[in-house]
Amino acid sequence: MSLLERISKNIQLRSWEGEFPVQYLYTFGVAGERFFRQIKENAKILGARCPQCQITFVPPSLYCERCFERTEDWVEVGHKGEVYTFTVCYRGMDGLPKNPPSVLALVKMLGAEGGFVHRIGEIDPQEIKIGMKVEAVFKPQAQRKGSILDIQYFRPAEK
Amino acid sequence: MDKSVQLKGTAIRESDIKEGKVLSTQWVPKAQYAWDTGVAIGRFLEELKGGKIIGMKCARCRRIMIPPRMFCELCYQPCREWVYLQDWGTVRSFCVSHLRWDASRMKDPFLPSVIELEGSTKGMGFFHLTGEIDPKDMKIGLKVKAVWKDARERTGAITDIRYFKPV
Repeated sequence: MSLLERISKNIQLRSWEGEFPVQYLYTFGVAGERFFRQIKENAKILGARCPQCQITFVPPSLYCERCFERTEDWVEVGHKGEVYTFTVCYRGMDGLPKNPPSVLALVKMLGAEGGFVHRIGEIDPQEIKIGMKVEAVFKPQAQRKGSILDIQYFRPAEK
Repeated sequence: MDKSVQLKGTAIRESDIKEGKVLSTQWVPKAQYAWDTGVAIGRFLEELKGGKIIGMKCARCRRIMIPPRMFCELCYQPCREWVYLQDWGTVRSFCVSHLRWDASRMKDPFLPSVIELEGSTKGMGFFHLTGEIDPKDMKIGLKVKAVWKDARERTGAITDIRYFKPV
């Protein structure tokens, strides 16, 4: 390429633009189906309990991740959890400033192993702390679709 | 006995998902891209908009290459000699495709073809579609000519040529 041919104006830069038409549909599997069905219909959060390790997994799985035993018992874990870790987002997905900022946290359900990455609501972002007790706020039943967002957010639990 | 038959699974039908018997989540990721055409393909597309097909000549091996490139991949030489090619040529390879890109079936097949354009070196292929022909009459060695879109409709894309038809 000779020097004269070199592009010196940005406006001359050519690009080819396109979009990948991709979409997916994901079913939750046997354990996930049972878990989300309870959230949708009864606003209950279920965990699966390993009979050997005595650990309750939330979200539930069919097999214990430690000993590979089949988890036979399903238990309700209640609505309360604990902030395991959190982040305060000052920018949205599009990179634009977000006002007010949103708070996201990994919520570990009390008495269970594992947790949800979820929104924290009804809170001043300055006040969130690791170890804070939170509780799930469900959408009204008519709006629940069997999704993790059937839980609208977690809010600081009343003592 | 086939082992797969012994395994227990959970069969799901599309209707189970539609009727809400099985819960699911759907998502359409926004997967956009912008690909920098570079100098050679940039000029090539610009020339298509003007109704011309341009190639590049290697000063060393004298090959006239289409699509154009800024260096010869055989000689590792930079190239700077642009050459206009004819918009007609010979079918060197083709395929009768009854499937669209998304694997859906087509009643009337389309004919992706590799066309050796007049003016380019033997063996250089221009990948496009052949049209206005019965797939049964398609054969290697067929002479074809480009069918262009109207100048106003052209956008500087490979689809500015609709297809190639038998001469």
